[in-house]
Amino acid sequence: MSEFNNKRQNSYIVKNALLETGFAREESANGSFIHATTTALQNVSIENGKITRVWSGDIRAERSEVIDAKGYLMLPAFKDMHVHLDKTLYGLPWQAVSSRRKTIYDMIAYEQQIIPALLKTSTHRAEQLIGLMQSYGTTFARTHFNIEPTSGFRSLENLQKALENVKDRFDADLVAFPQHGVFYTDSAALLTEAAKLDSVRFIGGVDPYGVDRAIEKVLDLTVGLALDNDKGIDIHLHDSGKEGLDTVEYLIRKVEENPSLKGKTFISHAFVLGRLDAKVLSGVAERLAEARIGIVSSIPFAGLVMPIPVLTRHGVQVFAGNDNIQDHWSTFGSGSMLQKVHLMAQLYGWTSEYDLSRAMKFATGNILPLSDEGVRIWPAAGDLAEFVLVEASCSAETVARISPVKAFVHKGNISWTADL
Amino acid sequence: MVKKADKYSPAGLSRKAFIKNAAWTLVGTAIAPTLLKARAADVSGLGSCHNSGDSRRYILKNVRLETGFEYKEGEVVATRTGLFCVEIQGKKILSVKHNEPDATAVDAEGRLMLPAFRDMHIHLDKTFYGDKWQAVRRLPGGVKGMIQLEQEILPDMLKNSAYKAGKLIELLQSKGSAFARSHVNIEPTSKLLSLRHLQAALDNKKQSFGAELVAFPQHGVFYTDTAPYMREAAKAGIDFIGGVDPYTVDGAIERTMDFTVGLALEFDKGIDIHLHETGDSGLRTVDYLIKKVEENPKLKGKTYLSHCFCLARLDQAKQQDIALRLAAAQIGIVSTIPFGGLIMPIPTLLKHKVKVMTGNDSIIDHWSTFGTGSVLEKAHLAAQLYGKRTEFDLSRMLALATAGRTPLNDKGVRIWPAAGDPSDFILMDASCSAEAVARISPVKSLYYQGYKVF
Repeated sequence: MSEFNNKRQNSYIVKNALLETGFAREESANGSFIHATTTALQNVSIENGKITRVWSGDIRAERSEVIDAKGYLMLPAFKDMHVHLDKTLYGLPWQAVSSRRKTIYDMIAYEQQIIPALLKTSTHRAEQLIGLMQSYGTTFARTHFNIEPTSGFRSLENLQKALENVKDRFDADLVAFPQHGVFYTDSAALLTEAAKLDSVRFIGGVDPYGVDRAIEKVLDLTVGLALDNDKGIDIHLHDSGKEGLDTVEYLIRKVEENPSLKGKTFISHAFVLGRLDAKVLSGVAERLAEARIGIVSSIPFAGLVMPIPVLTRHGVQVFAGNDNIQDHWSTFGSGSMLQKVHLMAQLYGWTSEYDLSRAMKFATGNILPLSDEGVRIWPAAGDLAEFVLVEASCSAETVARISPVKAFVHKGNISWTADL
Repeated sequence: MVKKADKYSPAGLSRKAFIKNAAWTLVGTAIAPTLLKARAADVSGLGSCHNSGDSRRYILKNVRLETGFEYKEGEVVATRTGLFCVEIQGKKILSVKHNEPDATAVDAEGRLMLPAFRDMHIHLDKTFYGDKWQAVRRLPGGVKGMIQLEQEILPDMLKNSAYKAGKLIELLQSKGSAFARSHVNIEPTSKLLSLRHLQAALDNKKQSFGAELVAFPQHGVFYTDTAPYMREAAKAGIDFIGGVDPYTVDGAIERTMDFTVGLALEFDKGIDIHLHETGDSGLRTVDYLIKKVEENPKLKGKTYLSHCFCLARLDQAKQQDIALRLAAAQIGIVSTIPFGGLIMPIPTLLKHKVKVMTGNDSIIDHWSTFGTGSVLEKAHLAAQLYGKRTEFDLSRMLALATAGRTPLNDKGVRIWPAAGDPSDFILMDASCSAEAVARISPVKSLYYQGYKVF
C-alpha cells in the first residue's frame, strides 16, 4: 500500500486544482450530444475543515500556506456506504472461503467459533483496512459492527478504538448489526442496549425471514428501537421471493406510519428487487421513493443484477459499498469505490461522457461536481473540505480508467502521496 | 472550453504519469514505468558463460513455488509452498533446486513465482492509450457505423500508433504480461501501415515482450476491398488469419470463411475470428468453422474463436454438444469475460476440455474505455462471475491469466516451473495462486526470456 503523508491544518489554499466547469456539446447529424467535460485550474481556500472560497487568480498576495495540486482533478471524497470494518481478515495470512459452509446457520456457527480469536486483533485490522480504503480515496464509511452474544460489545469497542486512532483522516457511521439474528441467538437485549449508545447511528438487521423466520416480530423490534432512540435503520436483506418482498413492503408500511424514519431508513442488498418483473418493480420503487427509503448495494453481477437505473429513475436514493473486502464471507473486495463505479458503468452500459460522469455519484455518496445540466455545484463556499485529488482530466475518465488517487482531504486535513 | 491538455502542462505531468492512469493496484504499488526500462543489466553479471547458445545464466534464490495442496476432509484448504533456487539460462529454465539462502544469486525475497501472464486478445495497433481522454461516442448503424468511423479516424490514429502501442505494451508489462496475441487492422484505409507500425513497436520491445499477430480485416473481407491486403499481410510476418462477423459484415458466412481458411492453409497460419453474432448466423459460423477444421486437421490446435457470444445464448445441452465438438476439433475460445447482459459458458467449455483464454481487448479506444490491461483482473472477474471462491477453484482460475499454465495440476502436483520451460515469469506479493487471483496481488517483477523487465 502506498505511503500517505498526513498533515493537520486549519487554513490553506490548494492552488492549481482542476475543477469541472461544464459539459461541452458537439453538434452532429443525430443532434447535439455531450462529448467532453470542460475544466479549469482554480484555487480553493480551506479554513477550519470547510471550503471558504473557490477562485481564480494570483495567489502570491495570500498569506495562507499554499499546497500545489499540480493540475490533479479535485473530486468529492469517496464514501463506502456498506462495509464491515470490525470483521475482516485483511492483513492476516491468506485464507480462502470454504465450500463446506453453505447456509447462514453454518456461517453463524462458524462465526461463533472464530470471533473470539478475531477480536484479539480486530482494532489493528480495522485500521489496516481503513488504510487500504484510504489509499483509494475513501474518507467515510457506513460500517456495520457485529452485535451478538459471542462478541457482546467488544466488536464495537475495538472498532471505536480504531476509529479514534484515525479520526483526523477518516469518519464512520455505525450500524448495530445483529449478524446472528435477533432471536435465533439471544441478541435482542444486546441490540436494545446498543441502540441507546450515542455512537450508534443505525439499527441494523439481517434477513428477518431467512434467519429469524419472523418478519414482523423482527422489524417491529427494529423500528421500535429506531424510534425510541432516534436512530436510522439499515437492514441487510438477501431474502428473495415472497418473503423478501414481504419484508420490503412491511418496512415501507412502518416508515409510512412513522414519518420520522423517512430519509434515514435503508435496505442493504435488497436482492429481491432484482427478481421482480418490471411492473411490480416500478410500483415498489415508487413506494420506496415516496417513503424515502434508500437502497445500499455492493453491485452484484454474477447471476443477479440489481435494477439500479430503475430505482434512481424513480427517485430512490441508492448508495454503494464494498461490503466484504477480505473475510470469511468473501475475499473479492478491492476496497475501492472507484472500482465499484467502474464496475457499475460496465454493468449498466454507462459508456458516454455524460453517463460516466453521472456514475461518479455512487462513489461519493451522491455528490457531483456538475449538476445534470452541467452547472458546477461542487465545490462551493461552505462545503465540507472532504475531497480527493486524482490523476485524471474529468469525472468520466476517473470512472472509466479507475484513475489513481494522489491525495485525500478529511475535515480539511490533507494526506498525500509522494507524487504530490 | 478549457482544453484537456491544461491538465498536463501546468502540472508538469509526464507521459510516465499518464501510464499509471490505468493502474488498479493499490496506489503507489503501480510499477514506475522507468523500472520497465531496467532490463538484463541487473542479472547479466551473475553466473558464468557456458557454451550453449544463450550465455545468459543466473540463479534466483528465495523463490516461492507452489508445492501442493493441503486437504482437510477432502477439501483443499490451503496451497503449500516452499522456497527454491531457480536457475535460468537464456530463454529457458535450467533447473529448480532446493533453496540456498546464502548463494550468490538474485534474491526473490520470498515472492511467489508464477508463469508470466499472456493477454490473448488485444488490439495493440489501435488505441487512444497515451493520448488524451475521450469517451466512446454512440453511433448509429452498428458495426458498419463503426467501420465508417474508423475510416474517418484511423489516418489520424496511425500517425502515432507505434508510440501508443509501446505505451500500451508497458501498461501490460506493469500488470505482469510478457506476451500478447494482438489483432492488427488490415483494411483499405490502413492497408499494411497499422501492421508495420505495430511491428516497429514490438521490435523496440523485443527483449521484454513477445507477441503473435492476427491479420484482422476489421472492415470485412469483402464489405470493403480487403482480400488483397489480407493476402499481402499473410506474407508479412503475421501468425493468424483473423476475421469479424462474416454474416453481419460481409453478408455471407461461407464465402468469407472459405477465404479465411484458404489463406490459413496456403500460408500455414492459424485462425482467430471475432464472432459477436448472437443468433443463428453466429452458430452457423461456428458449425462451418468446426467442419472446415475437421476437413483440414492441420488447423487443429491453432484455430480460435474470439468472443463467440452465440454460445451464451444456447441451452445447456446444446452448449455441451458444441463444447465437445470444439474440443474434438481443438478449436479454442478467447473471451474477454463479458458480464451483465451476456455470460459466456466458460465453466462448461473448460469442463469439456476446450482451450479457453482471455484478453483485455480494448484498453481505451473508440470501442471501449474500460480495459485495465491486467489479465489477472480478468481471472478475478471470472472467479466472481462463476462463483469460484474456494482455494482450489481460485487456483484453477489462474490458468485464464497465463493462457493455460498453472504451477500445480488439478491433483496438486507441481508441473511448473520445470527444466526446459520458457523463462517467462513474474514475482508477486502473494502467498499462492488463489490469493493472487482473489486479491489481484501486485506484480513486483516480470521476466521475459530470462531478461528482467522490472
